[in-house]
Amino acid sequence: MPAGEPVLSVRGLSACFRTDLGVVTAVDDVSFDLSAGETLAIVGESGCGKTVTSKSIMRLLPERNSFLSDQSRIIYHNRPRRRAAAKDRLPPGEIELAHADAPTMHHVRGARIAMIFQEPMTSLNPVFTIGWQLDEALKYHTDLSRRGRRRRAVEMLRLVEIANPEQRIHEYPHQLSGGMRQRVMIALALCCEPDVLIADEPTTALDVTIQAQILDLMAGLKARLGTAIMFITHNLGVVAQFADRVLVMYAGRVIESGPVRDIFHRPQHPYTRALLDSIPRAGNRHRGRPLATIEGIVPSLLNLPGGCKFADRCPRRRENCVEREPALEPGPDGRPVRCYYPHHEPRVAEPGGRT
Amino acid sequence: MWSFILRRLLVSIPVYLGIILIVMAALRVSDPVYAYLGKNATPETIVAKRAAMGLDEPFLVQYAKFVGRIATLNFGDETSPDPRQRYESWKYAGQSVGLKLRQAVGPSLSVTIPELMLTTTISVIIGMLCAYFRGTWFDRATMALVVMGMSVSVLVFIVLGQKLAGFSLKDAFGIDWFSPSGFEPWWERPFLAFPGDPAERLWGFIPVASPALAMWRYYCLLPVLIYVVVGVGYDTRFYRAVMVEETGRDHITTARAKGAGRAKIMFVHMLKNAMIPVITRVMISLPFLVAGSILLEYQFRIPGMGKLIIDAIRDKDFPIIQAFTAVFAAVFIVTNILTDVLYALVDPRVRLS
Amino acid sequence: MLTGLKRAWESRAARKFRRNRMAVAALAVIALYLAVGLWVLSVDGLKALGDSTGWWNVRSAPLVDALSTEQAGAVVGPLEEPGFGIKPRPEERLTAVKARLDDLGKAFRLRARGGEDREARIRAALAEINYGAVRVADRPVEELRAQWEAVKRQYDTIAESPNLDRDPAALPALRDLEAATAALFTEPGGVRGFLQDFRLSLGTDRQGRSIMVKAVYSIKVAIQIGLVVAIVATLLGALLGAAGAFFGGWVDYFVVWLYSTLSSLPDLVLLGVLVFMFTGSVFDDVNRPYLSLVPLYVAMCLTFWIGPCRIIRGEVLKIKELEYVQAATAIGFSRLYVLIRHALPNTLHLMFINFSLLFIAAIKNEVVLSFLGLGVKSGTSWGLMIQESTQQVINGFYWQIGAATAFMFVLVLAFNILSDALQDAFDPKHVG
Ligand SMILES: Nc1ncnc2c1ncn2[C@@H]1O[C@H](COP(=O)(O)OP(=O)(O)OP(=O)(O)O)[C@@H](O)[C@H]1O
Ligand code: SF4
Ligand SMILES: [Mg+2]
Repeated sequence: MPAGEPVLSVRGLSACFRTDLGVVTAVDDVSFDLSAGETLAIVGESGCGKTVTSKSIMRLLPERNSFLSDQSRIIYHNRPRRRAAAKDRLPPGEIELAHADAPTMHHVRGARIAMIFQEPMTSLNPVFTIGWQLDEALKYHTDLSRRGRRRRAVEMLRLVEIANPEQRIHEYPHQLSGGMRQRVMIALALCCEPDVLIADEPTTALDVTIQAQILDLMAGLKARLGTAIMFITHNLGVVAQFADRVLVMYAGRVIESGPVRDIFHRPQHPYTRALLDSIPRAGNRHRGRPLATIEGIVPSLLNLPGGCKFADRCPRRRENCVEREPALEPGPDGRPVRCYYPHHEPRVAEPGGRT
Repeated sequence: MWSFILRRLLVSIPVYLGIILIVMAALRVSDPVYAYLGKNATPETIVAKRAAMGLDEPFLVQYAKFVGRIATLNFGDETSPDPRQRYESWKYAGQSVGLKLRQAVGPSLSVTIPELMLTTTISVIIGMLCAYFRGTWFDRATMALVVMGMSVSVLVFIVLGQKLAGFSLKDAFGIDWFSPSGFEPWWERPFLAFPGDPAERLWGFIPVASPALAMWRYYCLLPVLIYVVVGVGYDTRFYRAVMVEETGRDHITTARAKGAGRAKIMFVHMLKNAMIPVITRVMISLPFLVAGSILLEYQFRIPGMGKLIIDAIRDKDFPIIQAFTAVFAAVFIVTNILTDVLYALVDPRVRLS
Repeated sequence: MLTGLKRAWESRAARKFRRNRMAVAALAVIALYLAVGLWVLSVDGLKALGDSTGWWNVRSAPLVDALSTEQAGAVVGPLEEPGFGIKPRPEERLTAVKARLDDLGKAFRLRARGGEDREARIRAALAEINYGAVRVADRPVEELRAQWEAVKRQYDTIAESPNLDRDPAALPALRDLEAATAALFTEPGGVRGFLQDFRLSLGTDRQGRSIMVKAVYSIKVAIQIGLVVAIVATLLGALLGAAGAFFGGWVDYFVVWLYSTLSSLPDLVLLGVLVFMFTGSVFDDVNRPYLSLVPLYVAMCLTFWIGPCRIIRGEVLKIKELEYVQAATAIGFSRLYVLIRHALPNTLHLMFINFSLLFIAAIKNEVVLSFLGLGVKSGTSWGLMIQESTQQVINGFYWQIGAATAFMFVLVLAFNILSDALQDAFDPKHVG
């Protein structure tokens, strides 16, 4: 697929939960495009709606207590492309996912859009072998024979750099370390050659050296397979090294987006700037709580303030900020930003090192 | 695996000896002989009874002897001339404790095994359906019914079931399927017969019949059905909770992200994981199979273990109570070990060590 | 204390619980049962007090007296009469009339004996006739006798009718006969009349005792056993479980050994064996009925502490690892202080849930044990009522089993709903 054309367009995505205390909107009017071969990073504090955004795209939110708004559009651009032995059940052209029926989603999930989760320890089924779990995905989405699927599973495990894939295939998840399991998850996600890979904090639960290995692996695979990646993380160091574009979220909203260089050098939104300033310059021991230096906490979704959601914590706040919420509009350097008084000047400090 | 079982058995021995100690001490808190014979007994009869049972010896000697009995599985021999060897039940003179226990096993199992199998199967299915249709009217109605059923005493189910199926069915419709009470050793009848009389044939024409099963049906089916009605309520709630918990697991999201359908997730991904708690629950209830469903046996006059122990407690039949609790605790420990073995077979994470 | 209560009232779990309307209704039902139970309990107390001091005769206050132990055992009407004022079939009504007439007839046939004259003997015998609150009318013996003979003749004509069901004239005649019979007696009026109706509202048992009074009276037994067992067993289990988990070592080993030992017998067998422990002791003495529940309390407490113990032990094991508890220990607070101040309060919700579950278990097991003849010995209880009614059910009389079941159903259902709501409210997995 030619690079640059969008594979996924999200327009006005809003995801709501029915809770005991009323309906909350965890993701509010989020729009973005993901192009083929591109890596889009979504960053933001814990609870800002990153996971909900990605699960909405996969339509994995619990049906019982959540729903997407009627205006939400998630458009997957199904372009003809050669895949190994794929069962192609989807019509070419634009496919709307936000309100698609179950059969469509079964064909999209795993085959066209795949996802890696944060918790490698619990994301694999403990009572089935690795081989069985890879085989299952292949069975759903490819025409391969049993033998062919087996060969492909071994091949995928080798691709994610697991030693002795022929033996590993007969092992159960508990026999693997955390890093290995995350590799298996990556193999599982990529085995049907999806167009989009959503990685929701794939390395947060791993220790630092393993994190680096997994990230290198993903970078390599992306270069090789040309998959578009939606990368969710707390870790701005990873973003700087890995992403093409960045989407900054706060309280369920996009507050700024743009190419990674621009975001790092000329952040416009006060929150983005605070986020970048909170990265320790030297060393890389800030895993976990990199945002501790921003005063205050994220507002509760149950009673969001009326105006700018960041107003409570913003150093540039003025009177009118709390009256009406600013819209996402082009800022001083032309990139969209949700702020009345964005920064104009570039930021001096360089982003922190990779972790 | 065998070394695991052996090791567990060895570890259980001190625990078991402790159980016996507690039970024996508890049963001697008030004088069992006096409790049995009552106020009007003469001192001589009391002394004689005590001596016959060995209750006049020091406690530790009694303990050692009783442990010896358990170890050699010797609960009396009614043919022996020595009263100590006979080890008779107090209430049923001439019958040794061992004989009473042995006789009770068959009737108990003929009721409890079908009970457990039916109850588990039905409630796993209903529990799964409820979890699958979670929040719908089906789920709500089933759960409401279950809670209401749980709020009615078991006794009511038993008494009304006995009346409706045991008496009214015959009186009102002439259907004589269920005996209102009683038991006969059905297994002594032939399992297969080829009756010439058309009236005895299956559906009137297939010349095959099973007198044994027909008798089983006559005496045991009604208690089994009553138990199933009661048991399904409790179990369904449990299995539904298990299934609902399984739905929330991370790996279920992974399976959905792979593109698996709902039924596939339910019956493949979840069921195998849910088998672990199911097996636990079934195994936990296994020893209680041996004890029988006490109330049913009592009310339907089925001479099983449950009726044996309740009658013994009511009649203050001390030797039976003591032997029963000891045997039961042993069965309990053995099934616990078996449970662990079975775990290892279902759950790859469990290793026997 | 007050701020603590306020905080609890405003906590998330409490708000969630209050929004659950079923749960609030269940709580109200439980409170009602509790009130009735305590009422019955205090009536017995008042009565004992009044009898011993003489300052107040409770019997002079019929409304207070209505639910006392004595009333639960009193004969109030004919045997096995249906409730709700449902009249039995004509034959049965006729038999009831005959029974009353025969009772009177027996008295009138008495002869003079010893020093007593005949009339005095008859009057004494008439005074003995007692159908609950219904007594023989207070009139001269001869007048009564004449009236009785007239009614008897009336009875004979109706009794000759070959088929009461078919004869259209028979029913009005029967009604007249009943009225005439009733005129021989004084029916109570006012409060006493209301109480008599109340007593007969669910019919009578085989000894002519009021099923309604028995069922209501049994609330006392259920509440008594439920409260004592649930409180003692929960606290016992919580203390042992928390101590085992917190102190570890041999304490824990002992606790685990104890509960695995006790749980290797089915509850019912264990309860039976424990009840057996008390046979022949003072608690088994018919002359001391007030002690007769003690074996039941002890057996249930010793059996039911296991559940809360397991759960709270598990929870405390988790809490022990929490940072602030570790910190408190590290700073040098005594372990006992940390256990009581930090660990146990965090298991409070589990104690509530277990309390509710044990209340159900206690009530149900009381019923089962009483049914088996191992439970309540004096007075009455739902279990005894069900046991009594097994024979009646076979004969087609369902009032007694129905009353016991309905009373028990409402209470147990309320507790079931309460436990579910509590578990729901404290479930940390729910967001919001
Ligand atoms: N099942 C749910 N029910 C109700 N609210 C939910 C549910 N799942 C998520 N939320 C709410 O949605 C908001 C966004 O959650 P989300 O998991 O997307 O955050 P996140 O950005 O992924 O955070 P983290 O970095 O911690 O993973 C949270 O405030 C959370 O309370
Ligand atoms: S709109 Fe005002 S409060 Fe909000 S981020 Fe911009 S300056 Fe701060
Ligand atoms: Mg997340």
